[in-house]
Amino acid sequence: MLKRALSVELTGIHPTRLELLRLRRRKKMAEGIVDILKKDLDALTVTLFEYLKQIPALRDEMRNGFAEAYDLFVEAEMLAGPRKIEEISLVSQSVDLNVNIAAEEGILGLSLPTLQLAERAASTFKPRFSLVDTPAKLDESTLKIEGALTQAIKLAEIEASMREILEAISVKKRQINRIQYKILPQLDAAIRYIGLILEETERQDAIRVRVLQRKRKERALKAD
Amino acid sequence: MGVWKYKGFTHKVIVRKLGLIKQKDMTELAGRSLQDIFPMLKRTSYQTEISEIPVEQRNAVTLERAFLRNLTKAYQDIMKQSPKDIAALVSTILLKIEVNNVKTLLRAKAAELGVGEAMRLLTPGGRLDDEKCQRILHECDSIPDVVESLADLGYKAVLEEALSEYERTGVFLLFEMALDKYVYNEMWTATRKLKGLDGKIARTVIGIELDSINIKTILRCKALGISEEQTRHCLVAGSEILGEKELEEALGAADLKSSIEYLRKAVEITGARDYKRLLMNAQYEYDTTQLLSRLETTLDQGLLTTSLKMVKRYTPYYNIGLILAFLNLKWFEVRNLIAVTRGVEAGFSPEKIEKLLVLPR
Repeated sequence: MLKRALSVELTGIHPTRLELLRLRRRKKMAEGIVDILKKDLDALTVTLFEYLKQIPALRDEMRNGFAEAYDLFVEAEMLAGPRKIEEISLVSQSVDLNVNIAAEEGILGLSLPTLQLAERAASTFKPRFSLVDTPAKLDESTLKIEGALTQAIKLAEIEASMREILEAISVKKRQINRIQYKILPQLDAAIRYIGLILEETERQDAIRVRVLQRKRKERALKAD
Repeated sequence: MGVWKYKGFTHKVIVRKLGLIKQKDMTELAGRSLQDIFPMLKRTSYQTEISEIPVEQRNAVTLERAFLRNLTKAYQDIMKQSPKDIAALVSTILLKIEVNNVKTLLRAKAAELGVGEAMRLLTPGGRLDDEKCQRILHECDSIPDVVESLADLGYKAVLEEALSEYERTGVFLLFEMALDKYVYNEMWTATRKLKGLDGKIARTVIGIELDSINIKTILRCKALGISEEQTRHCLVAGSEILGEKELEEALGAADLKSSIEYLRKAVEITGARDYKRLLMNAQYEYDTTQLLSRLETTLDQGLLTTSLKMVKRYTPYYNIGLILAFLNLKWFEVRNLIAVTRGVEAGFSPEKIEKLLVLPR
């Protein structure tokens, strides 16, 4: 739309003063739009870097969480015996982990995804395996894994948000480039073209006036 | 029979007790590699079982199986040599190992494991020997078939109710809960049959074991947010000190901390000093670390300490104290060896492994 609103074709231009004023107004508006788009681009870039800054810490937390969960799992194997844990895993009820996906309005009204580990209903809390045969370390390991999964989901949310922001940045950049390198040069060319035409017309008018004045003087001299 | 029943038996237990791995050697194992552990273990009572493991199969899993085989053999020997009433109690303690095999058979069938794979997870012994386990795995196509094939060992009656419930709901845990209830109930029934000093010692030691299981269950369920009703199903027979009423009150406590607090106060009223010390230590450990796993280790430590205290309190001779102490020492030795070998295999530091060991203080 912006492209259509601002672009001009030289062939269809009426080289009039009114058209020149109109084109100058359009140029000013296009420059204003470029300024706004650049500010938007800056805001998006800042947000992108803010997200980027969060990633190493979150990734470390996630890795540490999984490593700690694994260590706790091995400790559970140490206490109950590796065969026992393997055996229990064959029949234990699996945990249904769901991720709630929603969208919230973020920077510049962008729709950014939010991912959250769904909380299980209290009624679903049942022993999944024999509590007599297993040590509490196994529960601690499970809790750690859930914690690490939350971090993994947060990371996925950030990555998805960054993708959205990068998409928006690329759109903004395309818009700025289009205005800066296509529409503004076109408008400048049109303005220059009308300016030249108007100058040419003025020059012709001036010559015509001078010729008329000269002829009037010659006519006056003949009459004298 | 009085004390005469122990004639010539106590010394055999003392000799066996002397054959247990010393605390210093156990901690030393934690600092070795798995390859170094093998020759060291060959100098212990585990020599026969260790030698049967082929070199290429030497790992924590095969070692666990060897340790448990040795444990079963040791318990069986004690049972055979014990006086009749003590043998009845030891046979119920042996049931714990047998029940584990029953659980494995059921789990293997539920997971549709092949015979070889299932046999790898089993530790056959006693009434459920290699041959019987293989026969069950070969002949039974489903869980009801396994239950039926265990009828001669008395498990059909134990599992019947759980089986009908399992067929309706598909919850495997029902079998495990039924078997746990059965074995600990048998243990407590056999304990209550003992009279005099034997009865007193056995009720303290076995009582602490059963109550520790219930305490752990209640606290874990509280930590996991499991409902009171669900938790109630997981409880096993309790002693007179922490009976149904006390456990019920602990179940109804607002949170985990209040549960421990309530249990500590309940045992204080009864005046049972071993329980009091046990729960005080458990509460202290939980308050300090906020970790249930540490509390569990303290309870296990408490059971071992109480067993040994009984020997000191009432002389090692002419009572059941030494036998129960040996059985517990042997069980924790096997548990510690499993922990050491798995920890070493996982590359854990000796300090980290030592933290998980239950050693007599």
